Amino acid sequence: MNQPVQRDLFPGALEMMVLQTLRGSPRHGYALAQDIKRTSQDLLQIEEGSLYPALQRMLKAGWVKAEWGLSARNRKVRVYKITPAGRKQLEREISSFDQMLAGIARVMRPAQS
Amino acid sequence: MKWIINFVRRRGSDRQLAQEVEAHLEEKMADLMDSGIPEQEARQRARREFGNVALNRQDSREAWGWVWLETLVQDLRYGARILRRNPGFTSVAVLSLAIGIGVNSTMFSLADGLLLRPLSVSRPSEIVTVTGKTPGYPFGYISYRDYVDFRDRSVSFDGLVAYSMSSFGFSARPGDLSHMKVGLLVSGNLFRVMGVEPQLGRGFRPEEDLVPGRDAVVVLGHDFWEKELGADRSLIGRKVRLNGIEFTVIGVAPERFTGLDQYLRPAIFVPLTMAPRLAANPEGNLLDRRNDRGLSVKARLKPGTSLAQAQAELVAIAKGLERTYPDTNRDQSVAISTELQARIRDSPSDAALVAMLMTLAGLVLLVACANVANLMLSRARARTREIAIRLAIGAGRMRLIRQLLAESLAIALAAGLVSLLFAYAGAAFLGRLQIPTDMPIVFSIKVDARVLWFSLLVSLASVMLFGLVPALQASRTDLVPVLKAADADSSRKQRLWGRGTLVVVQVALSLVLMAVATILFRGFRAELLGGPGFRTDHLVMMSFDPTLVRYGDAQAQQFYKALRERALSTPGVRSATLTTVIPMAMNQRQENLVPEGHQLPKGRDSVQVFADTVDDRYFDTMAVPIVRGRGFRESDTAAAPRVAVVNDQLARHYWPNRDAIGKRFHLGGANGPWVEIVGVAKTAKYLWIAEPPTEFLYLPLAQHPSSHLTLVAQSFGDAAALVAPLHEMVRGLDANQPVYDVRTMADFFQARAIGTPGMITQTVGAMGLVGLLLAMIGLYGLMAYSVSRRTREIGIRMAIGAGRGSVERMVLRQGFILALTGLAVGLAASVAAEKGLMAVFSSTERDPLAYVLVAPILLAVTMLAAWVPARRAARVDPMRALRDE
Repeated sequence: MNQPVQRDLFPGALEMMVLQTLRGSPRHGYALAQDIKRTSQDLLQIEEGSLYPALQRMLKAGWVKAEWGLSARNRKVRVYKITPAGRKQLEREISSFDQMLAGIARVMRPAQS
Repeated sequence: MKWIINFVRRRGSDRQLAQEVEAHLEEKMADLMDSGIPEQEARQRARREFGNVALNRQDSREAWGWVWLETLVQDLRYGARILRRNPGFTSVAVLSLAIGIGVNSTMFSLADGLLLRPLSVSRPSEIVTVTGKTPGYPFGYISYRDYVDFRDRSVSFDGLVAYSMSSFGFSARPGDLSHMKVGLLVSGNLFRVMGVEPQLGRGFRPEEDLVPGRDAVVVLGHDFWEKELGADRSLIGRKVRLNGIEFTVIGVAPERFTGLDQYLRPAIFVPLTMAPRLAANPEGNLLDRRNDRGLSVKARLKPGTSLAQAQAELVAIAKGLERTYPDTNRDQSVAISTELQARIRDSPSDAALVAMLMTLAGLVLLVACANVANLMLSRARARTREIAIRLAIGAGRMRLIRQLLAESLAIALAAGLVSLLFAYAGAAFLGRLQIPTDMPIVFSIKVDARVLWFSLLVSLASVMLFGLVPALQASRTDLVPVLKAADADSSRKQRLWGRGTLVVVQVALSLVLMAVATILFRGFRAELLGGPGFRTDHLVMMSFDPTLVRYGDAQAQQFYKALRERALSTPGVRSATLTTVIPMAMNQRQENLVPEGHQLPKGRDSVQVFADTVDDRYFDTMAVPIVRGRGFRESDTAAAPRVAVVNDQLARHYWPNRDAIGKRFHLGGANGPWVEIVGVAKTAKYLWIAEPPTEFLYLPLAQHPSSHLTLVAQSFGDAAALVAPLHEMVRGLDANQPVYDVRTMADFFQARAIGTPGMITQTVGAMGLVGLLLAMIGLYGLMAYSVSRRTREIGIRMAIGAGRGSVERMVLRQGFILALTGLAVGLAASVAAEKGLMAVFSSTERDPLAYVLVAPILLAVTMLAAWVPARRAARVDPMRALRDE
C-alpha cells in the first residue's frame, strides 16, 4: 500500500526533522512542511501529505501534543508542540544519526581518494 | 485498554484530520496565489504537492492501530445484513445454538449454586480451610485450644477464624415464644478477617472474645433480620433472648454476606466464648478441653504466601502441640485446602453431579453446533458462486475466512442473547427446588454476572465449533470449475453417513427422554392416587428440642407429657400425638434388629430397617390402620414388657405365611433385648412417594424416650388455625422453649410428595423437548444440505420427466428413513429404561401408552422438518438448475 515516495529518506528521518523543527517553536502542519522544505533548500523531496501519518504516529507515541489554534492567515489549524518525551527521543535519534553519518563517512572516504 | 478509548474517539479524530488537511491545502493555495499564481493552478499544485489525500488519511488512521477492529465491525455488519436476508436460516441456526448455550448457562448457574460460587467475603480467593488431620481421618474438626495456638503462633495468615454451627432458641422480646434458629458460634475476629462490614451497628470487639461467658452480644444475619424481624433498625442495642439468656444485639450483617458455606444462611452470630453458658451441658466446656474437637477453621492467607508454606508452618505448630500435650494431641496434624477443594471433599456427590451435568450440557452444545455447522455447509454450497467471484476479484483467503467467521460470530452473539431467556427460565425453575425445613438452607440458583460472562464465553467458543470448519471449507472453493458452472462436488458419501448417524441419535435420545417423562408422570400420578398410607389433612406439626434450654432427661419427659396433655385439651384439637420422625421428612431413623427364627444372609448379624418411636395415639391420629393385633397402649410403659409394631412388609419378609404377632426380635443387635411384636400396621410411604414397599418398625415412646420430638395435632377444622393456640399453649408451659418446623401436613406433603416429583417429571420432559427441537433442526439441516447438493441431479430428473410429487417423495423418503431408524433405536432404549424405572415404582405393569403417545408425535414433528427441504426440492426449476449449477 505504501508507495516508495520517501525514497530519499531513511526510516525515522521525517520524524527526526519534525521534532527538530518543533524544538524551536510550535507549528501547524503546513508551516512545518514549509519550514522543513525551506531549511533543506528543497534538497529533500518530501510529499507534504506524508507529514500527517508521521504526526499521528508521534502523537500516539507521546512525542508531540496538538492543540487547535489559528494560523497567520486566521485559519483554524492544529498546532503541534514537542513534549519532554519528544525532546529525549530527538536527542537519542540525533546521537544515533551522528554515529551513522560517521560510519557512512568512513566507508565512503577511501572511494573518494 | 487505551485503544478502546481511541477507537471510540476515532470518528472525531477522523473529522479533525480531514479539517487539518483542508486547512493545509488552503494555506498553501493562499501562499501560491500571493506569489501571483492563478487560483486554478494554485489549487492543482497544492493538491499535487500534497500527494494522495485518501491514502495519507488512511495511513494516519492506521497509525492508531484500530483498523482491525474497524474491519471486524464492518464484517459483523455485513454478516448481520446477510443473515437478515435469510431469516429462515438465521432463526433456525440461532434457535439451535440458543438451546445449546442456554442449557450450558442453566447448568452453570446450578453448578455455581451448588459448588463454584466463591464465598461472599472480601477477596475470597485468599480464604483457605484448615482441617484437623489424624491417620484415620484427614479432614476432621479442630478444638478451640488448638485453634488459639494456631491463631497466635502462625505468621502465614491475616487471621484465622473458628466457627461451629449451632441451634438457638430465639425470642425477640422477653415472654415471646422462642423459635429455633440456626446460627454460628464464631471467633470474635470473624468480621474483621473476612472483610465484612456490618450493615448496621458494629461487629465484635476484640475484647468480646476473651472472657468465657461475659459478653452476651449477638450479630443478626441479614436474611433473618429482614424477613423475620421486619428489618427493624431499632433492634440495635436492644435485648433479645437466646436459649433463655439475655443478649444485646450489636449489629446486622450486610446483605451480601451469606455465611461461610454455599447453603447455610446463619440467622445469628454469637461469640464462641458464650458457648459454655448457652450449652445444655456446662461441664463439657469446649473452650477448655483440647480434645473437644468441634470447630471449623477458615483462614486468610497473607498475600504472597503459598498454600504449601502455610501448611508447613501449621504442621510445625501441630508437631509442637503434639510434644507439649501428648495426651490429647497424639497423631493430631493439620491440612490446608482451598475453598473449592474443601467443598468437593465435603460433598463429592454434588461435585459428581455438577461434573455430570456440565458434561451433558457440553454434549448438547456439541450437538447444537454440529447442527448449525450442517446448516452453514448447506448454505455455503448455495454461496459457492458468490465466494468464487469474491476470490476471483482479489479477496484474500484470510479476509474471506474472517468474513465468514464474522457471520458465525453474529449468529453466536444473537444466540447468546436468546439463550439468556432459557437461562432465566431454567434458573427460576431450578430455584424452586427448596427443602421444607426451618434450617436456613438456600440453594441460590440465579442468573448473575458470573452466568452472563459464562454465556458470552460459551457463545464465543461455539463460533470455533460450528463456524471454523464451514468457513475453511467454503474459502477453499476451487475457482475454475465453479466459475465454469460445473458441479464441483465430488460426492462424499461417508460424511453424509456420519451426519445421518448424528440425526438418528438425536431422534432416539429425544424419544427416550420423552418416553421416560411420560412414564414418570403416569407413575407418580398412580402413586399419588394410591395415597401415602397416612393422613395428610387436618394435621399440624411442631418440633421441640428441650436440651437447648438445658433440660435434663427427666425434665424433658415431664415437658412432653404436659405438652401432649395441654395439646389435647386445647380447643379445636381432635387428637394429638408425639413422634420422633414424620413420614417422608429428611431425618429418617434406622434400627438394627435380629428377627427370631430367621436365617440372616452370610456375613450379616442383623438387619437395618427404618423406624419411628411413637406414642399410643400415633396410629389413630395419623390414620395408619393396624391390620392385625393392636397398636400401642398407655400400659406399654418403661416397666412393662418391651413391645413393637411392624408393618405388613416387614412381617411378610421375616415370617412369611405365618402370623407375626407374638414373634420376637433382638433390638440393636444379637445382644440387644428381646422385643415382642404386638401389632402389624398397613404398609405406608416412609421416605418418599414413589418408593417400593419398605419395611418399617414402630417402637413405643414410653420404652424409648427421646429428647427431640414432634407434636402432631389433628384439628376439627382448618389445621393452620391451630398454630396460634398451640403456640400460646407452649408459651404457657415454658416461653423459652424453642419450637421449630411448624407447618401443616398438607403443606409438607405438597412440597415433598407432589412438588419434587413434579419437578423431576418436568425436568426430564423439558430435556426431551429440547432434544426434540435439536433433532428437528438437525434433520432439517441435513435434508437442506442434501437437497442443495443434489439440485443438479434433481434438475436432470425433472428434465427427463420426474414430477414434482415424486421429487418431493424422494426427499421425504430419505428423511423418513432417518427418523424411523431413530425411532426404532429410541424405542429399544426406552424399553430398557422402563425396566430400570419399574424398580422405582410399586406398580409392576408396563405402560404402553408412553410409546403410543410419544412415538407418532415424534415422527410427525421430524417429518415436518424434512418436509420443508422436500418442498424446496420439488420447486427446483430444471432449466435454471441445469444452466446455473
